[in-house]
Amino acid sequence: MKELLRVLLPLLVWLASFSAIYGLHGLGCALGWTEVALPVTSLFRWVLFLAWTATIFFQLLLLLALRTQRFGTTSSFIRRLSITNSWTALIATFWTLYPIAVSSTCG
Amino acid sequence: MNALRRHRKLQAIWASDPGWKGWTSSVNHSDLGRMFLFTAFFFFLVGGVLAMLIRAQLATPDSAFVDAGAFAQFFTMHGTIMMFLFAIPAFEGLAIYLLPKMLGTRDLAFPRLTAYGYWCYAFGGALLLVAMLFGIAPNGGWFMYPPLTGPLYSPGINTDVWLIGITFVEISAICAAVEFTVSILKYRAPGMSLDKMPIFAWYALVTSLMILTGFPPLILGSVLLEVERAFGLPFFQADLGGDSLLWQHLFWLFGHPEVYIIFLPAAGVISTVIPVMARTTLLGYGWIVASIMALAFLSFGLWVHHMFTTGIPLMGLAFFSAASTLVAVPTGVQIFAWIGTLWKGRPELHMPMLHILGFFVTFVIGGLTGVMVAVVPFDWQAHDTAFITAHLHYVLFGGFVFPMLAGIYYWLPLVSGRKRLFRLGELAFALIFLGFHSTFLAMHWVGLLGQRRRIETYDAETGWGTINFISSVSSFVMAIGLALVLVDIIIHAFVAERSRRNPWQAGTLEWAGMSPPASYNFASLPEVSDRTPLYDTPDLANRLAMGDGYLGAPKAARRETLMVDAASGRPEALVIYPGNTRLPILMAAMTGGFFLSILLKLFWFTPLALAGVAALALVWVWQLGARADQGLQEAGRGAPLPLASEGDRSPGWWGSIFLLVANATFFGSLLFGYAFLWTVAPGWPPAQWFVPSWAELGFGTGAALTGAVAQHLSARRNRAGAALMTALVPALLATAATVVVFGLMLFRLPPPDGHAYAATLLVLGAYGLAHALLVMLMQGFLILQVRRGYTSPRRRAAFAVVALWTDYLAAITVLILLAVHLPGMIM
Repeated sequence: MKELLRVLLPLLVWLASFSAIYGLHGLGCALGWTEVALPVTSLFRWVLFLAWTATIFFQLLLLLALRTQRFGTTSSFIRRLSITNSWTALIATFWTLYPIAVSSTCG
Repeated sequence: MNALRRHRKLQAIWASDPGWKGWTSSVNHSDLGRMFLFTAFFFFLVGGVLAMLIRAQLATPDSAFVDAGAFAQFFTMHGTIMMFLFAIPAFEGLAIYLLPKMLGTRDLAFPRLTAYGYWCYAFGGALLLVAMLFGIAPNGGWFMYPPLTGPLYSPGINTDVWLIGITFVEISAICAAVEFTVSILKYRAPGMSLDKMPIFAWYALVTSLMILTGFPPLILGSVLLEVERAFGLPFFQADLGGDSLLWQHLFWLFGHPEVYIIFLPAAGVISTVIPVMARTTLLGYGWIVASIMALAFLSFGLWVHHMFTTGIPLMGLAFFSAASTLVAVPTGVQIFAWIGTLWKGRPELHMPMLHILGFFVTFVIGGLTGVMVAVVPFDWQAHDTAFITAHLHYVLFGGFVFPMLAGIYYWLPLVSGRKRLFRLGELAFALIFLGFHSTFLAMHWVGLLGQRRRIETYDAETGWGTINFISSVSSFVMAIGLALVLVDIIIHAFVAERSRRNPWQAGTLEWAGMSPPASYNFASLPEVSDRTPLYDTPDLANRLAMGDGYLGAPKAARRETLMVDAASGRPEALVIYPGNTRLPILMAAMTGGFFLSILLKLFWFTPLALAGVAALALVWVWQLGARADQGLQEAGRGAPLPLASEGDRSPGWWGSIFLLVANATFFGSLLFGYAFLWTVAPGWPPAQWFVPSWAELGFGTGAALTGAVAQHLSARRNRAGAALMTALVPALLATAATVVVFGLMLFRLPPPDGHAYAATLLVLGAYGLAHALLVMLMQGFLILQVRRGYTSPRRRAAFAVVALWTDYLAAITVLILLAVHLPGMIM
């Protein structure tokens, strides 16, 4: 079960962050965060941007953790698979949540 | 014991009952796999005839071949049959038949569940067919969008037939998915670690996990729409706080992964067949496994690309458009791995290879038009035109039918033990390939000219007549090709001469048994040290027949196999399967009675049917019990093993884990629907909130948590050999208190037909109540087992299973109570 978790965890985190940030976008629009001005840009853009960078950071940590002896595995196949999936999740996080960094409309 | 005596002894233990009556009591995976495949291809035939009727109607402008009403039933049933009654069950049938043989075991994890799934599928499919014969088939399109399918615009029974029939059939898919997941992880040949699994098993594992998480949103949507139609609860009615877009979200949360649920098993066939046809091994095994997983996950982030024209926020468009383009990458990895495998090997152009080449051409074109429609501005132009119909046929026919035909020709010698007689298959392939491309290339074209989907006719002035005529004639050419495949298989099955074992010289274990396979698959179970054991040990088949493996000494009337560690494949426990029984067909009939009672509004029968299902389920589980400890068992090769039922991690525990994954997805989808309606639907906030109560919230939470703790305590006391009732009875009472809390909550709700808010709370409460009653039933059953001597510190499997469900009840109770009480407190 632990081996299965190692393999699936990065992609599960991507799925969770994908859903959470999409939900956050809906919440921000509903609560009018676009109207709240902060330095540089609105509260809405800041929240989404920070959520995106935090998710990337977390995926990076996961990638590094899976390479260590403490969190990694002795099976070379599972190790390779979990690290490949971790890279996939990192790229997917960057790419699929990237529109948040450049687009923050509610319309 | 010589090989022949061993065969006769095993055959006597494992064989299904003789004659046609044996069909109703068989729990053997080979029998049920064949029955699944036969039924699925029967539905393929029906769906194909409907397609021909559709093309006949569209062949000429202003056609009066059928009226608009019949045409609506035709295209709805065509899509429904192909998606739900052909594609998924064909995968299930293939996997049920092949997986145990490939994995080096004797059957799937839950043979009776396989049979139950088959009968649910057969009865549910029959319901839809009977409705079609009576002219009351579903007519709202295969994705059943409300408000068209709501009570106002579709007042007849047609939509109900779809909602209830498909939900019934989906039980079968969930059963199969649980079955495959547990079988692949725990029922393999000793030594078969995850990296030595046949690639098809990886595809089946990922597909099964996708079914477990992809189907529940549709089941929820179907339940909500049926409840709206039957009782007026307004989940999809905008004037009462509902939103028809909720249906689209729930449908496509299922619908897009569904595309990959259909494609991945077919890709598994390709990854299995290509290396054999190319006389080499699969290139990039690890990369392919990683890309299957990436594909599965990414496919859950794409559903909104089916909704680009619904007016969702621009942000959402960018979000899902990005994910839609990304999913092409893991698909590309697999395509390149297959090309690389062909490149490094020496490909031979046998019959399966022809269909694989057909797949390559067709699927790549379908993938490219998929990238086109993933781009939002293009999708806005092409949406709901024949271009989309053509695209989806390229993906589904290219990505599923061609690989399935390749698989049929590849495994036919295994199933029948014969070799092909005539060269009819080559002619059939040519007709199918040319017919398909002419039909659907033309359809792309006419779609770009503006022809919408689902129109029953068009004017001659549109200029679409010639293109449609070409498309229709070509579709008949394709149909003739498919009919020839059927003729080829019938000739093969009845006339062809005997084939030698393993005619393709493949390396995987399904070819290590007899052809046609014996009911027990392997006389003894192999020890595996390689991904292609037959290349490593060419005389493996003979050695297994002579008993040179695990479980080579059959014991009287015991159907035995091994359970292994999921990662390493180390033998862990001995499994004893139940024998032939008609319990599955009876339970499927009773389940059908439940669904029919709702369809025909015979609500007095609904609780009786439910009670019948519960009673049969109790008999089902009771039969697994034993009144004495068995201890360590001899499994051969000097490996004494405990029984799987004498430990915490029994097959039932593993099955419950994955069933709960599906259940939790259903619940999560319900919470998503609640949040969606709250934030997006018009007509919120509701006029009347549920009156919150700190006492009920606290009491309910306390009861649920107490139940879970007491249940775990009982498991611990059982292991220690202490008195059990002091923990089991409080656990039961705590669950009973949870039932009371949910009952009270339902009693105090605002009128559920007045607003989607109250309607959603009703469903949340009913979900919690149903689970509380289910856990009470389990706990009562466990108490009965304890009192009758069916448990001991060693026979403790039931405690772990009930504890899992009690934990789940505690979690959902807390979440439901918070979702129901908090809004009233805050607002």
